[in-house]
Amino acid sequence: MLELKPMLSALWRNKVPALLIALQLALTLAIISNTVVIVKDRIAKIERPTGIAVEEIIAINVMAIPNNYDMIGAVSSDLELLRKLPFVKDATITNQVPLSRSGSAGTFYTQPNQEVGGEVSNRYNTDPNFINTLGLKLVAGRNFTNAEMQYFDPSEIRDINVAVITQQFADKIYPDQDPIGKPLYDGNTSHPIEIIGVIERHLGAWVDWSKAGNVAFFPIVRNTQDVNYLVRAEPGKRDDVLKTLVDKLSERDPQRVIKTRVLSEYVARSYAGDNLMVKVLSIVAATLSFIVALGIVGLTIFWINQRAKQIGVRRALGASRSNISRYFLIENSLIAVTGIALGSAAALIVNQYMVRDYSQPVLTLLPLLICALLVLVVSLAAALAPALRAANISPATATRSV
Amino acid sequence: MIGYYISLALRSLRRTPTLSALMVAAIAVGVGASMTVLTLNYMMSQNALEHKDDVLFAVQLDSWDVNEAANTTNEIPWQLTYRDAQALLRSDIPTHQVAMHRYGFTVELEESAIRPYTADIRVTTRDFFNLFDIPFIYGGTWEKTADSSPMQVVILSKATNEKLFSGEDSVGETVILNSQPFTVIGVIDTWEPSPKVYDVNNGSFTKVESLFVPFGLHRKLEIYSWGNTNGWDSGEGEGYEGFLQSESVWIQYWVELTNKEQKTEYENFLTAYIQGQKDQGRFERPLKFALSKPSEWLVLNEVLSDDNRVLGWVSLAFLLVCVINAVALLLAKFLRKAPEAGVRRALGASRNAIFTQHLIESSTIGILGGIAGILLAFMGISGIRYLAMGQQDTVARMDWVMVIAAIGLALIASLLAGLYPAWRISRTNPSIYLKTQ
Amino acid sequence: MLKMHNVRKSFRTDTIETHALRDFSLEVKEGEFVSVTGPSGSGKTTFLNIAGLLETPTGGQYLLDGEDVSNLNDRQRSRLRNEKIGFIFQGFNLIPDLSLFDNIDVPLRYRGFSAKERRKRIEKVLEQVGLSARAKHLPAQLSGGQQQRIAIARALAGEPRFLLADEPTGNLDSLMARQVMELLEFINEWGTTIVMVTHDPELARRAHRNIQIVDGQVCDLRPVTEQPEAATA
Ligand SMILES: Nc1ncnc2c1ncn2[C@@H]1O[C@H](COP(=O)(O)OP(=O)(O)O)[C@@H](O)[C@H]1O
Ligand SMILES: [Mg+2]
Repeated sequence: MLELKPMLSALWRNKVPALLIALQLALTLAIISNTVVIVKDRIAKIERPTGIAVEEIIAINVMAIPNNYDMIGAVSSDLELLRKLPFVKDATITNQVPLSRSGSAGTFYTQPNQEVGGEVSNRYNTDPNFINTLGLKLVAGRNFTNAEMQYFDPSEIRDINVAVITQQFADKIYPDQDPIGKPLYDGNTSHPIEIIGVIERHLGAWVDWSKAGNVAFFPIVRNTQDVNYLVRAEPGKRDDVLKTLVDKLSERDPQRVIKTRVLSEYVARSYAGDNLMVKVLSIVAATLSFIVALGIVGLTIFWINQRAKQIGVRRALGASRSNISRYFLIENSLIAVTGIALGSAAALIVNQYMVRDYSQPVLTLLPLLICALLVLVVSLAAALAPALRAANISPATATRSV
Repeated sequence: MIGYYISLALRSLRRTPTLSALMVAAIAVGVGASMTVLTLNYMMSQNALEHKDDVLFAVQLDSWDVNEAANTTNEIPWQLTYRDAQALLRSDIPTHQVAMHRYGFTVELEESAIRPYTADIRVTTRDFFNLFDIPFIYGGTWEKTADSSPMQVVILSKATNEKLFSGEDSVGETVILNSQPFTVIGVIDTWEPSPKVYDVNNGSFTKVESLFVPFGLHRKLEIYSWGNTNGWDSGEGEGYEGFLQSESVWIQYWVELTNKEQKTEYENFLTAYIQGQKDQGRFERPLKFALSKPSEWLVLNEVLSDDNRVLGWVSLAFLLVCVINAVALLLAKFLRKAPEAGVRRALGASRNAIFTQHLIESSTIGILGGIAGILLAFMGISGIRYLAMGQQDTVARMDWVMVIAAIGLALIASLLAGLYPAWRISRTNPSIYLKTQ
Repeated sequence: MLKMHNVRKSFRTDTIETHALRDFSLEVKEGEFVSVTGPSGSGKTTFLNIAGLLETPTGGQYLLDGEDVSNLNDRQRSRLRNEKIGFIFQGFNLIPDLSLFDNIDVPLRYRGFSAKERRKRIEKVLEQVGLSARAKHLPAQLSGGQQQRIAIARALAGEPRFLLADEPTGNLDSLMARQVMELLEFINEWGTTIVMVTHDPELARRAHRNIQIVDGQVCDLRPVTEQPEAATA
């Protein structure tokens, strides 16, 4: 039998501790539900496909020491050497390392001399081996040929003739059309660049960018002071290949400073901020639940001790063990439900600020409900042990004086 | 009397070790978490140019595309074009002014065992050191002509001087940069502003460059930026000269204006300059420029990110929960001891005495929690260093201010937590605890 | 020593108001040993609590040592309690966490005595109650009678002039009760005024004077010897 009324009046007499627990649960729910949506959002972001064989790729930066170094000559010898190394699948040259947060971008148009209505895209200057080296998937058209390669001085402006772009960029700039054979105009120029191929996916340079995934590739090498190579190793052989790279390249020509870094490290660095949010917020949410649970355990034990005699009397008057534990569990649920009601309101209010001021994701009803359920479970689980213990108080307590 | 209370507090804590440990842990975790995040936010909110905040200004000119505003918080490009920077340098209104950008060189010494390496360079005008108050150990900055004509001189950071010349006075020595000989004319002392307020383009918490070369070298060495170069117009000029004359922005510009009149005069100068450029068909957007103090510059550049702010709030809310938790537990604990307080009252303790005794007990918990919290915060901060992969090393560290703040926070937290329970027990009527049922 | 005139005390709860004392008037002289009897719930404890400055009366006048104490603040009342009044309870009310020595130390601490003075006094009262050897023990390690003797020692340590005892023998068997009573009489002989609530007619008779409280009022003032058996409910 439920004795809700006496329970409520007993709670009312202990209102401060009860309220403190409800308040803790409310704050916990408000914090956890908001962190959960942030964490979920960030995990989804981190786990986005990059389109690139990140784990197998090594990035090499080669910087010439002499000032008038023949970089273009060096590049072909270097690439030839790299491609012949054992366990190397392929190698390519690029102006910037993908997913490294360094990159360049430009606006492209579908009409010559256009000034508005273009689409921004990352741009990479590379060679025909880039598809194989990055592990990209060509979904339409064709790759560059070696005959299409162009070699420029650093700020020489020469017309580019062909481009390979990502599916995402193609969908944006030529929605619902076959992009193959269509022109691209670099800025407000009048020279058409023909789209010759489409690759499935490439996340580009900046993982935080709203347009990440808009990428265009051009068959160009510029004669700069430093260049970047990407080397793809056989699966599992990346670290073996990495060890020999610097020596092999320096051996070929000692007039350069050579630095290497695996692509997975660039990616980890790109996502370091998101990863930090995920870790810190998860730890906070977990510790918070734990602390609140401990608090509930402590307070329930205290209450039960306070009422040991009363419980004994009830037992002596015929209450069963389960009557007693049920009493405390129902009491706890009453507190928890109050806390959850308060907390849900707080969570939604807090989330409005999170969305408005700190550009965090919206808290929808489902995650809120799940978190509320979680808080209820934590609260009940915390009360369970003391409640069961209360049931073990012997009816003899009633006859014993303090 | 305080001594008596403290001994009572310790005795009481030992009486209920689990409950006490729980409360200490609650405060420690709350303080640890919030201090970790607040330290980070505090360090990120530092302004190394605080002392010159009223006289230094970052210059922005809106030279951007007429069709589309620049993608920055104030819709003016962060940096200037080379030609605008050169034009501004000709003004003699500012007390000091700096045009600069980041670059990289290979570094080697003649006949030295040191392997050639690449280093971050700052290409800048001579006022850089004056304007930012950077102290020299040896030598000094270059002469003014080096800002406009090529002079192969270099100023080393203290660390570079130690690496190349074992910290000796290296003025007059030669360093080979990109196989060109450069003469050392100065060595600066350690200077590590964090956030790197003078150039936040490539991360706000990165290291200061290790070598400094004059702004007059661009054409001779065909220097590009190693920072950000942003353009909107593909331009028509050919070759390196074409790049210098293009609309690409890549130069950071700072001025020192010591008083209001000077500032007004400079603003008029900028207005006139932009007007003049408009007449030549440039600056097609509405006339707009900005002079931002270092403190404003840090805010504009969102050095303290939204994520950091979220973490700050979350950690404070976390601390709040921990405090409420401690309130509940302390209340339970104190009320259990209510009969004892009743006896003490009967034996002559005033309400104040009971209140003080219990407040001291909760402060003891606070101090223990604070100490544990600081240890946790140190762990938290190394955790963040690890997670940030070295990108926050200059901010993820605790200084004395923060250690003291942590102790203060713990004390305030536990005093707050203890206030109500102590008050509550000091107010309860002793007589009800003295009778036997 | 103690003079109450028309003292009233009522307790108000949500629903009802209980009048624990009504127009309660009483005078206790310096050096007297007064026993208080009366049915349960008649207001004996309430009277002692007011006399001991633990509670404030709702109305009426209370003079302690000729001083009107109704308008004193908490600090002043605590000080008077500490210096002039000693308490003994039915439930002993020793602090379970403190050793006997530390229990007796409690009122002396609030008195602000030096460590040396406190030690001297504690050792003296421990000797008086014959428990010097047990100073380091915890209350739980003593029998009920011994606990009550320590409680008396604690009440005596501050050398109060006024000792209030609420059923001090209520939890003790008759032998121990007699020992405690002898101790109280001994203390009284040395000049301490004592007011003792008891249910034990024999003990009540041993006091100089017995007053009976019924329904919150002093019912009758008669010489102890004429007390009828029936009065001790
Ligand atoms: N704190 C209190 N709140 C409400 N009523 C009280 C309180 N203390 C005592 N009373 C009431 O005052 C009356 C006198 O109580 P008390 O002085 O304890 O009686 P006695 O000690 O003679 O048994 C009783 O009716 C009791 O219920
Ligand atoms: Mg009584």
